[in-house]
Amino acid sequence: MKLHFNIVIYLYCLIMLFTSCDKIITLPFTDNDSRVIIEANITDQSGPYIVKLSRSINIDQSNIYPVVDNGTVIISDNTGVKDTLKYSSVGIYKTKLIRGVYGRTYSLEVTVDGKKYTAQSTMPDKVNLDSLRINTFPINGKNQYSIIPVFTDPLELGNSYRFIQQINDTLDNNYNIFNDNLNNGKINQRPLGPPKKDISIKNFDIITVEMQCITTSAQLYYFTLSQQSGAGPGGGTAPTNPPNNIVGGALGLFSAHTSQTKTIRIPN
Amino acid sequence: MGFFSTFNSDAIKDATLIKGNAPAQYGGRLSSVLDVKMKEGNNKNYTVNGGLGLISSRLSIEGPIQEDKSSFILSGRRTYADVFLKASDKFKDNILYFYDFNAKANYIINEKNRIYFSGYFGKDELGLGSSFGINWGNKTGTVRWNRVINNKLFLNTSFIYSDYSYTVGLKNGETNFNVNSNIKDANIKQDYTFYMNPKNTIRFGFNSILHTITPSIFSGTVNNSVNKVGRNGLENAVYFNNNFKANQQLTFDYGFRASAYSIMGGDVYNLYNGNEKTSSILLQKNSFGKTYLNLEPRFTSNYRINDFSSVKIAYARNVQHLHLLSNSTASSPSDQWIGDSYNIRPELADQTSIGYTRNLKNNTYELGAELYYKEMQNQLDYKDGTNINTIADVESALLYGIGRAYGFELLAKKKTGILSGWISYTLSKTERKIEGINGGNWYNAKQDRTHDISIVTIVELNPKWSVSGVFVYNTGNAVTFPTGKYSLGGQTIYQYANRNTNRMPTYHRLDLSVTYENRDRKKHETSWNFSLYNVYGRENAYRISFQDDPLDNTKTQIVQTALFRWVPSVTYNFKF
Repeated sequence: MKLHFNIVIYLYCLIMLFTSCDKIITLPFTDNDSRVIIEANITDQSGPYIVKLSRSINIDQSNIYPVVDNGTVIISDNTGVKDTLKYSSVGIYKTKLIRGVYGRTYSLEVTVDGKKYTAQSTMPDKVNLDSLRINTFPINGKNQYSIIPVFTDPLELGNSYRFIQQINDTLDNNYNIFNDNLNNGKINQRPLGPPKKDISIKNFDIITVEMQCITTSAQLYYFTLSQQSGAGPGGGTAPTNPPNNIVGGALGLFSAHTSQTKTIRIPN
Repeated sequence: MGFFSTFNSDAIKDATLIKGNAPAQYGGRLSSVLDVKMKEGNNKNYTVNGGLGLISSRLSIEGPIQEDKSSFILSGRRTYADVFLKASDKFKDNILYFYDFNAKANYIINEKNRIYFSGYFGKDELGLGSSFGINWGNKTGTVRWNRVINNKLFLNTSFIYSDYSYTVGLKNGETNFNVNSNIKDANIKQDYTFYMNPKNTIRFGFNSILHTITPSIFSGTVNNSVNKVGRNGLENAVYFNNNFKANQQLTFDYGFRASAYSIMGGDVYNLYNGNEKTSSILLQKNSFGKTYLNLEPRFTSNYRINDFSSVKIAYARNVQHLHLLSNSTASSPSDQWIGDSYNIRPELADQTSIGYTRNLKNNTYELGAELYYKEMQNQLDYKDGTNINTIADVESALLYGIGRAYGFELLAKKKTGILSGWISYTLSKTERKIEGINGGNWYNAKQDRTHDISIVTIVELNPKWSVSGVFVYNTGNAVTFPTGKYSLGGQTIYQYANRNTNRMPTYHRLDLSVTYENRDRKKHETSWNFSLYNVYGRENAYRISFQDDPLDNTKTQIVQTALFRWVPSVTYNFKF
């Protein structure tokens, strides 16, 4: 029906191999509406948990993000615990008494310059990360490696996972976001994606993987980010600010999630 | 990209592009119709046609089966870019090729009856050894019976079967799965042409298509959690069209098409109101659900003001029952088609146009201008963050809206002489408005191009040498660049404002080709073609991405990726 379009992909690959060229360009910038950024996490590990407040800046500015140090941050849960966070430094607010427990719903209330932002997140039940496995496959005569996190997805639909991969001391910035729209109720066999382009997994590397059981709204947030890869015919989906669970117009995410970490070494 | 043509020119007799206002015998699409007629095959002599090139070759053979009674044409093409990859150790596992094959035979039963058989088979393969592969395939088969009922009435009856499919396979180590999707169409068509009198030519007929659309289904070590099945839909249309020559000056082409799409059983159809699933309908196999019926009026009138100028006005409604869902800004194998359902209504387009044409210097030159306006209803898109390949019911994530397109086209053509060719210019705007995207406000469609210029020239230097050139220039596609940034989890995340308000850089390119034809030999005809794609090596942007500057991560770097600059090519063509 539209066979000719795939030629684009052909060319893409062919050209990428031979003649594609990257160059740094400049573009005219439009004004940016500076928004409050909320980065809030509650985990099943012991506290204190951190809420970080900052503001977005123009794309052409240096990555020095203004912190918000005059906010009021309150986290409460559905058992009646209410925790007013204490400002520490560089936009970081810390919890004093609230505990992260599976199945509890947490409410976040942030007030900055008289404007209120609210969000809710329910910590998913923990799905155990049993182990990590190395998946080996040859490409062009060289062994390539990827990591398979071994866990058994529960029978009920609706589980979402985020994996954070670290190769030796380098954090892989790629998003590995799974949900059980595929392989519900089964032992996972999907490997994590290859790390970002300038890192590869080699012999003797030590790989650390953090597995987070996340809410569906966090899944949507991270998955949207993972789909954005530039503009133009060779880009990803039309980029937008990822849909989040914060009411009031702030960007960022409030995520109650579990956290488990395992490490594996690639043998020779 | 225009690098490899979809159509094999050796197998094609004639192609007509009908923009927007197609007569009633055409239907099922909102956009232009490209009516491609294949060659019938020479029923007197055998001929062989072909070309050997650097990246692709083609060959076609035609001739009689029984002289004056039946003939055939066989035609094939293949690219072999991967041969070069194999030569390099680094890329030896890469697979990258495309081939297609056309076959047609016709048989004259008697003076009044003729029968045609034709088939097309094409496949693209892209892969990395046995670890990764994508292929697309397209198959069609047609039987057409051409019958002269009497000297005024002709009937064409066609049976067409087509199968478009793709497979993405991943096999690395223990992970092994395929994603498959396909559309199969079984089509029956009867088209009558009635030459009523010198003033009226009537065409009428019907067309029934049974669509079987299978969404992306995973198999192997990765499976869909909710079972997905293919859906059937029955598309029926009847049409009537009259070409009426009122007098020497005035012609009317008018008619209608009634098209219906019936949802068919075998699957559960969910109904949504916004985000909420309100109910679901289980349709038993072979039973019919909702039917959408639409009338599509078509009207074109041509008035010859004098021997060299004429005006044309036209209006047409077109209806489309199959809808394309695309996950990315480039067409890719993850694109999916979906038929009408309880939520998805047929896409409608109403187009009005007015045009003026003028011939100059005894028909050597032709000038034309056209103004058009098009309104579209029931346009589809999906919510941000939807993975259309794995989601249990893609309809749960769809958004609906409207679209509009308008523009002005100018064309100047030189039809004869040593130098021939054309210059065309289009000024246009294409927008969409979908609740849930861009705050429900109008935004530029990604294919919106303000200016579009193309210049094509051919110079016949002498009977042996000819030079041709193509120049294209267009405004970059509408895209969304970030306006701001912030940090989350230690990563830079970009902030966006309105959709598609930015532009890719202007695209322009010049291609030149020189052909040397050797007609001296008695029976053979050979030619050499030397061409250079992108003569001045313009780095046209294929992708623009934003990233932290690797040398100074407090800065954002904008990287433009361009595809090839110059692509030279040599082809040796022969015919005997």
